[in-house]
Amino acid sequence: MAPMASPDIHNRALPSAWTSLDSGSSMQEALDALESYKKKDPSKVVVRFKAVGNAPIMKQNLYKITASNRFQAVIQFLRKELGWKAGDPLFTYINLAFAPAPDDTVSNLYKSFATEGHLIVNYSTTAAWG
Amino acid sequence: MTTLARPSPSSAFATPASTTLFRRLTWEGTVPLEIRVDSKELPANSDRGLECYYVQAPRVSYLPLLVPELKRFLMDVVFDEAAARLIKEEDWWFESEDGNLLKWHWPVGLLYDNHAITQSVRAAPSSAQQPVPLRLVLHLASPPTDKLLLSPSAEACKQAFMGQMKEADFIRWGNTKRMTGLRKAEQDGLWEGIREHNFDEYWRVASKVTPTTTPTRPQSPPPGNSTSLHTRPPSADQNTGSAPDRDGAYNVRSVPVRIYLPEGPIMQDLVPPLLEDGSAHTLGHFLAAHLPLLFPPTPNDPPFADLAFPLVQGVVAPPDTEMAWLGACMAGADGWVNVCVGLLRDR
Repeated sequence: MAPMASPDIHNRALPSAWTSLDSGSSMQEALDALESYKKKDPSKVVVRFKAVGNAPIMKQNLYKITASNRFQAVIQFLRKELGWKAGDPLFTYINLAFAPAPDDTVSNLYKSFATEGHLIVNYSTTAAWG
Repeated sequence: MTTLARPSPSSAFATPASTTLFRRLTWEGTVPLEIRVDSKELPANSDRGLECYYVQAPRVSYLPLLVPELKRFLMDVVFDEAAARLIKEEDWWFESEDGNLLKWHWPVGLLYDNHAITQSVRAAPSSAQQPVPLRLVLHLASPPTDKLLLSPSAEACKQAFMGQMKEADFIRWGNTKRMTGLRKAEQDGLWEGIREHNFDEYWRVASKVTPTTTPTRPQSPPPGNSTSLHTRPPSADQNTGSAPDRDGAYNVRSVPVRIYLPEGPIMQDLVPPLLEDGSAHTLGHFLAAHLPLLFPPTPNDPPFADLAFPLVQGVVAPPDTEMAWLGACMAGADGWVNVCVGLLRDR
């Protein structure tokens, strides 16, 4: 890492394949498209919680969770169900394999990692697969 | 898994030499940052003439890794001794100039590109394409921990990074055997490579988990205990002349890809390297399928758009870029291909 030299200012033209010969392209159309992609997915997906190691087993372990929630919301929900206090250690994993980023959405994780219609979330009181 | 014939490389971009070249170009990419302490939080007796710190930061680095040198600068130059004693870097956090929280666990290059596409929605057309420093505001107190999600330590960042590496491994192969097969020292070497911005140290290990672009490996995989876990029995290879390339970029189950739109959302889905007809899955096809309103599918091949553009590692990638190639050559150090989508301004 070095202190910044004078910035290399130049205009970069976009490759023509991404630009249109039609100069009337509509910013409004693009903004409308963005808005529609921002709409939250109201659908729900099934999450199955599975304890690992010494973690307490839940009486009910299947829950429907709104797909647009972040994984952080799943962690918070799980902590509440387990009666965990702030600071009590809890580690969460998908498919016994990896800890997802807390800001990833349940929807994204479900699309990539669901097993037989369930997103399997393992929880442990100690770090596993670290 | 069904075996599909891999299309023959159409250009020189899939040779081992060019793979190394593009990996190095990606690794050596840097972005200009201007970091300024929030003037309301600047301690008394600070030297206000020198409150900005400029750095050309590696795209593959992370904010917590920049904090030590930033702290050194502030201690040496800006704060007086009394203030320096009171400073606790655990309380530091960053915002962009327009008040967006900057995530500890996002690579610096992603923060920069994500800001660029956000500007593509807001900024006046004339200034949209000037490469300018990303202006960060450093706050010295009251971190919004509920929104930052992670503590600012380099250790928490490393754990998040390892999680991303494993998630990418799982996306590619349906398991994390390649990552868990690494020895502890090798896993640490990946992070040390990033911390020290050392291409060779990082890739010495990363080459064991990242797919290759060539149809078959020129050499056998490096020896080690880990390989025995997933070596195919010889009988599985129908064609003894050329063994199927178990590490090939076109043999993965899916390429680890996320799409970032201005101010969200972030989208992730399975991205097979080949389409059903056996042809390579291209960026144009991928964007037309996932964002048809921004990249309308057209009868022309490749698809053709006039509303938006995709940035990969700061580069506007052409529509015929193959997703598998992006995964092998243009992924970040965490294994993920981040496609940031900005809007084209009216011309």
